[in-house]
This record gives sequence, structure tokens and C-alpha cells, in this order.
Amino acid sequence: MSRIGVFVCHCGENISRTVDVERVAAYAAQLPGVAYATDYKYMCSDPGQNLLKKAVAEHQLTGIVVAACSPRMHEKTFRKAAQAAGLNPFMCDMANIREHCSWVHENRDEATAKASDIVRLMVERVKRGKVLEPITVPVTKRSLVIGGGIAGIQAALDIADAGHQVVLVEREPSIGGHMAQLSETFPTLDCSQCIMTPKMVDAANHPNITLYSWSEIESIDGYIGNFSVTIRRKARSVDEDKCTGCGVCMAKCPQKKIPNVFDRNLGLRTAIYVPFPQAVPNTPVIDREHCLKFKTGKCGLCAKACGPQAIDFEQQDQLVTEPVGAIVVATGFDLYSIDRKPEGSSIEGYGEFGYGTIPDVIDGLTFERLASASGPTGGKILRPSDGKEPKQVVFIQCVGSRAREKGISYCSKICCMYTAKHTMLYHHKVHDGRAYVFYMDARTPGKCYDEFWRRAVEEEEAVYIRGMVSRLYQRGDKVVVMGSDTLVGVQVEIEADLVVLATAVQAQPNADSLAQKLGISYDKYNFYSEAHAKLRPVECATAGIYLAGACQGPKDIPDTVSQASAAAAKVMTLFAKDQLEREPIVARVNERNCVGCFACRKVCPYGAIEEKEIRDRQGNLIRTVAHVNPGVCGGCGTCQATCPSKSVELDGYTDEQIVAMIEAL
Amino acid sequence: MGSKHKLTYAYYPGCSLHASAKEYDISTRSVCKALRIGLAEVPDWFCCGATPAHNVDELLSLSLCAKNLSMAEEVEGDLAVACAACFSRLKTTQHHLEHNDIQRKQVEKAIAAPAPVGKKVKHLLEILARDLGLNKLEEAVTRPLTGLRVACYYGCLLTRPPGVPELDDCEDPRIMEDVLSALGAEPVQWSHRLECCGANFTLSRPGVVLQLSNAILASARAAGADCIMVACPLCHGNLDIRQQEIEEGYQTRYGMPVFYITQMVGLALGIPTPRLGLESMMVNPMPLLQEKHLI
Repeated sequence: MSRIGVFVCHCGENISRTVDVERVAAYAAQLPGVAYATDYKYMCSDPGQNLLKKAVAEHQLTGIVVAACSPRMHEKTFRKAAQAAGLNPFMCDMANIREHCSWVHENRDEATAKASDIVRLMVERVKRGKVLEPITVPVTKRSLVIGGGIAGIQAALDIADAGHQVVLVEREPSIGGHMAQLSETFPTLDCSQCIMTPKMVDAANHPNITLYSWSEIESIDGYIGNFSVTIRRKARSVDEDKCTGCGVCMAKCPQKKIPNVFDRNLGLRTAIYVPFPQAVPNTPVIDREHCLKFKTGKCGLCAKACGPQAIDFEQQDQLVTEPVGAIVVATGFDLYSIDRKPEGSSIEGYGEFGYGTIPDVIDGLTFERLASASGPTGGKILRPSDGKEPKQVVFIQCVGSRAREKGISYCSKICCMYTAKHTMLYHHKVHDGRAYVFYMDARTPGKCYDEFWRRAVEEEEAVYIRGMVSRLYQRGDKVVVMGSDTLVGVQVEIEADLVVLATAVQAQPNADSLAQKLGISYDKYNFYSEAHAKLRPVECATAGIYLAGACQGPKDIPDTVSQASAAAAKVMTLFAKDQLEREPIVARVNERNCVGCFACRKVCPYGAIEEKEIRDRQGNLIRTVAHVNPGVCGGCGTCQATCPSKSVELDGYTDEQIVAMIEAL
Repeated sequence: MGSKHKLTYAYYPGCSLHASAKEYDISTRSVCKALRIGLAEVPDWFCCGATPAHNVDELLSLSLCAKNLSMAEEVEGDLAVACAACFSRLKTTQHHLEHNDIQRKQVEKAIAAPAPVGKKVKHLLEILARDLGLNKLEEAVTRPLTGLRVACYYGCLLTRPPGVPELDDCEDPRIMEDVLSALGAEPVQWSHRLECCGANFTLSRPGVVLQLSNAILASARAAGADCIMVACPLCHGNLDIRQQEIEEGYQTRYGMPVFYITQMVGLALGIPTPRLGLESMMVNPMPLLQEKHLI
């Protein structure tokens, strides 16, 4: 005979505002099988949990229903409390009367009736619950880090320094990411290369880090502690072991006029190239689209010049598989392209700014390359159209960001600060020049940030104009900026030599497809979702996968590095255990019933269904049945729904429990 | 093949096209006839309310358009509109009726009919560029406008506000240029395609109009345009009728003919000029057309 305890939470006023919690508790108390029911203001608090523990002992409870928030929020909390009180934790379940009821209804009577229904269903379910024991699985103490920008490098170094193996995968020929493209960094104006390149070298040389550059994630299987990752190592056409990085091949390459993406197409590179001189690894890649050898079969000058014979035109993509226990996703961001609206995109273009048609309208990252000592102009601010030094530069903020009518409502967070920095860099290099900034608000929350911004305005002579720009157009060799000054209430027209747009920070274009491979969730802008916005900011809802940097949302360097170290700490916490406890919510096959049709295997998304041979005492095969590998099973229940002979049941979600819930409705 | 027309539309000319912009109406009918596009004028149509109505009473302005749309539902085909202002008001009304329940109910009460949101409103440009298609248009050309450099002027209303007219990208449209290219003319790249001409301030504050329209004419000339092409009677009025006044005020000389799109299409189709209403233009286009051997 079940003795169920029902605990109804007020959640401050979150539930009790709409649901009459006392009435729900009184209703629950008279349900068959319920031995005790009560309500409390904060069930999850220490006194709330003690109330629950005390009730288990006093009323000899066999199961618990906590009517409160979503199980995603506090199931673990209450199961732990139930366990402390001597119950099997899986005999404790949540009735979600907050997200599913009080938050979405207004009428108090109706909401109370619905909450009572939800409680009744859960009571029926717990009455038929079974005692389950946690499953333990071994932890592979190796980590995968996807993305070799500052986030990925920081996370990889931290994990590697803790003594664990790290596989660092970078899509580009070199690690470094966007930070390697920057000139100087706010709020201290230290040179980005000077603080970044040593970290790149550290990552590449670390004995615990295996670096796969020019590589991408092909597929990911498994689960927390036991992932199996297949990595595509794209054909570099250069043998990394033989290459000494001398650069003779690049000097000999006759294809010298290919726009260099790393320099935002301002500089040129050869067909065999490293994206920038400080690249790590310093091994070139052959761009097969532009290489004459690949296009026409003739040339091969690089191979003839290469002393160590490292050039390999025959090289193919290779797939390598790595077992890892944890994954840090640090794939970074992309910048909003403001040309015409891309096909099928929900984000509008910025035709009014003529980007892509007016050569002297550039974005912030392009300005970084102009200002960078290692950039295409050697750090001189020269405009793209005619290479002249611009004397009037207009910076426009919030291009794409905070522009709901264009499809993006969020703030990109870094632009106010980097635009202030740009005005300073410009002022330092072009003393007789003038920088104008069109802005909506100056958002400078960060240590020493507002001081930095004030310095741009007060000491470095940047002219800040509060207002937006409606149109840019070419007039002679000038770019006319038509804008408004909303503080004065006048229209402004400026003849600029160069216009720099602070375009919105966006997710990487293929962020969604990687998320689907990883099985992690993402928001409508394709930024990856953390498990909890406040309390679990670096973990994905998918166990064993962690987030670092701008792939989760726009972030500056200090925040990115903090999050990367936090993600690394989470990985280390995971690796501190030899065995991992898993929820025993896995499918189980009734071998006497199973006819071996393996319909379950076809639908299982985890590949958890194996074949098991049933033999008689003489060892003769009687039949083959399905068997669920509990380590691999994800507990989705698809097999249970599919099995034609009803021979599979998911522990914790048996047919008996589900049917009882339906019948109680 | 029941009808001799492949494409048929209900046609809402709007007040201007029966008065100050008669040549727009004349040339629209001529061009559609030549391209075998059937136009059936909505019986008993009346003013869309234009700019004054929605500045005075939003419900009035929505109801005027809704009633016209409701009457247009009686006529077969999508609703063809030539005037940019009528087009804007009709599309805006449908947008309100679709997205604002309260307004929809008020309007339904006012016009004593269900909200006419099903009638598709199309600007002539859409009909030419998409329904007929640029290829078909190009095939129909008998006198390509070779060598004619044209500044396509969209004005404020044709593509804006975002999400309402859905004619083209609202800040970087190409539909006019596409149509012109199909006619063999040469659209110029210029800056003031979507700037305001001053619109109906032409009556209350003409000084504003002279200033804004002057900027448009100056920019078209700087881009090397021989003439301007418009889709709006009010823009036409400001750029064409006021041109001499602008020239006097700003001590300059433009002599820049301002054509309606349908007049340009008509020229390329070889329609005789009297059936295009060219004689109504204040800036005489004949010298330009003769110079380019287009008549």
C-alpha cells in the first residue's frame, strides 16, 4: 500500500498568486494512497526540505510528489532530500504547477483546478513507481575543445594544465580566431598580438594538447564521460611533420593576388599560404581553388622549392576518431554582413549604407586590420579606395544591433567599447584627423570601461553625435553621411573620407548544424543556450558539454576568458571522479516477450540496442532478442512506443505508470 | 483560352490619375492593352484618403481604403494600382486589418462588411516585373531605349515602411532598374532614389519642397541621368511641375524630363506618343527623345 506525501510550493508568489495552494494541498490529502499533504512558501529552501524529510519519517511515506516548478529546475534538489530521508530518490517526482500552470493562466479557480489535476496524475504515477538504482559509467578523462580562438585556447590550456589530455580542433589553418585579427584591445590598449600569440604557442606546444588545425567536427556519438568524436582533418597538401615553416613555397607561388580573408580582403596572399605571419601552426595550406597545380595540372613550383619535400598534392581528407569525456564548445562569432538581405534569412540587409558598393564603407573588424601593425597597411590608417589617409572618419554604432525592424533585437555588447577604442587609435595615428561617432547610447558596464569611453570623448577629441544615420552615398571621393543629432534636434550631413560600421555580432553561419551534431540547443539567433541563464551559465542542458565565449552570445575578451576558465573548471570537476552516476532512466527489454524484430534498433537515436542470443543448456541458439546497453541508452522511450509486442519498458516511465496517469485525467 | 487576356486585374486608378496625373492613367491603359493585360476599373471607386485622411482620423483612412478594397473584391483578379500613394494606403490598411484585431472590428463595423484582407494589391511594377515577367516584357520591346540614361526614383512610399508594401528590399530596391533594363535603357547609380521630394508640403510649405526636390534633381544630374522615372503623381508634380521654379530659385538649369514608368514602357513598346500623354509633361521630353532617336 502506497503512502504518498504531497508537498505544494507557493514559490514565493509565483504559484500562490494564481493557484490556491492550500486548496490543492487539501485536495491532495484526500486522494487514495496519499498519507500526508501540506503547502509551504519555499519548498526548495532549507526549512522546506526539512519539512519534507520530517514528514517522510513521521508518516512513513513511500513516495513523494512535490508540486512546484519544472523538474528541470529542482527535481535533483528534492530527490536528494528524499534520499537523505531514506527514500529511493526515484520515488520522488515533481508536479509542475508553475511553468505548466500558474505562469500561463490568469483565472484563479481554473488554475487551481488544473494544479489539482496535475497533482493527481503525478500521485498515480509515483504510486506505481519502482525503486531504481543509479547506473555508474566510467569517465574518459580527455576533453575535446571545439574552436581555437581565445575561448578555446584558454579552456584547453586550463584543462591541460590540470593534467588532462585535450584535443583542440580549429577549422582555420591557424588557431587565434578573431582576437588574432585585432590591433589593440580595450580598456588598456595592449596589443592583441602581443598577448595572444604567446598563448597560441603555449597551446600548440603543451604536452597535453593535441592540436588539429584545418579540421572540422564530422560527427559526435556517446554521452557524458564517454563521447566518441570523429574529426575531419582537411587535406592541407602539406605534410605537417616534414614542413619546417621556412616559407620558401609561398615566395615561389606564382598566384599572388588572392584576397586574404584574414585581412578582411584588404591584403593579398598566395595560393599556398599561412593566414598571417604569426600563425600557429606555421604550416602552410594549399588553397586548391586557386592553386594552378590543382586547376591546370601545371606549376608545382612550391614542391620543387621545398627542401624537406613536405608538399603533397595527393593528400586526402582524413577522419580520426577520438574518445573524450567532456566537450567545450568555443566556436566564436561572425559579423553581420549588411549587404542585401540574404536568401531565406529573417535578417534584413542595410542597402541604405552601400556596404559592398562604396569601397570606403568598412566594418569594425576591417578597421582593426588597418590599425594593426601586422595588417595590410602596416598599421597606417589608409582607406581602401585610393590608399589615402582619411581626415574625417565617421563611425556608426548599432548597425544591425538593437534594430528590431532589421530582425536583431539584442545589443552586441562590444561595439561601444571598440568604437571608442577605434577613435583613439585613429587619433593617435592621424593627428589632424577628426573622428565622429553616431550612437544610440554609450553602454560601458565593465571594469575601467566608462573611464575609457570618457577618455575618448574628453581627451581624444572624438565627436559623439547621438542619433542614427539614414543613408550613406558616394559624392566624388567622399562618402556623404546623412544622419540626425537627436540631442540638438537637427539633421546632420558629414562628408567623410572613411565610414566604419559597428556591425552586429552574430552566431557563426553553421552554428545550427554543429549544434545538431552535438545535440545542444540554440536560440533564435543560433547562439548556443546555456542550461540556466543565471546559475548554470557555462553548461549546456546536454550533460558533459560546456560553452565558452561568443558562441553563447556577444562577449568581450575579459568575459570570454572568464567563461573559458569556468568551462574548464566544470570539465575538471567532471574529471575528478572515476565513475559517473547516471540516472537509471533507461529502457529494459522483457526477453521472454521479445520476438527479435529489432524495430527498436531502427528508431533508437543513440545506437543503444544490441543483439542478445538466448541459448539452451546445450548451447543451441534458441532465438535472438534485443538488449539495451544501459550506458548508451538516452532514456527517450522511442523504443517503448515502437515495440509491436510491448516488450520494452522505460524505467521510471512504464506503460503502467503512463496509462494510470491517463486514466486519472 | 476564355479571355483574350492572359493576365486580368481589377484596376484602381485613384483620384490623381483622373486629374493631375491623367497621363499616368492614359499610358497605363495603353501599355496594358499592348501587353494584353486586362484592366477592369473598380466600379464606383472613390478616394483612398491619401495623406490628409490618416493625418486627421486613422479609422476614417482605414475605412476609406477598406471600402474600396471591399468593392474591388467584386471584380475579378488582383487589384492593380499605379499611384504610389494609393498603393501605400491600400497596403497599409490591409496590414492593419491583418495585425490589429481592434482596428479590424472597428473597420468592419464602419464599412458593414468583412475586412477585405484577401484581395491582393499589386503595384504596376510588380505586374510588369513578376506577373508578366521581365523576359516577356523584353520580348515585347520594339524600340529599345538604347542610350537613355535614367534615374529611377522610388520616393518614400513605394517600398516603405518595412514589411508593409513588400514590393522589394525597402532600402535597396531594384525592381524599377530591372524593368528599365528590360526596356534597353540604362539605369544610373545614384544616391537620392529613396529620399523624400517634399510630397504634399508642395501646397503648405513649398520652400521645403523646392529644397528637397532640388537635391534630387541635382543628384540625378550628377549621376549623369538624362531623365527621371517615377511611379507617383505627387513626386511627378514636385519634380516636373516645380522644376522651373527650382531652377529659378537655385540659379541652375536641369531640363530634366520626368517620365512615369508606363510612359517609358510605352515608348519602348513603340506606342505612339499621343497615347502616352507625353504632351502633358511640363519639361518637354521631345528634344531628348529626338536626340536619342526614340521617336
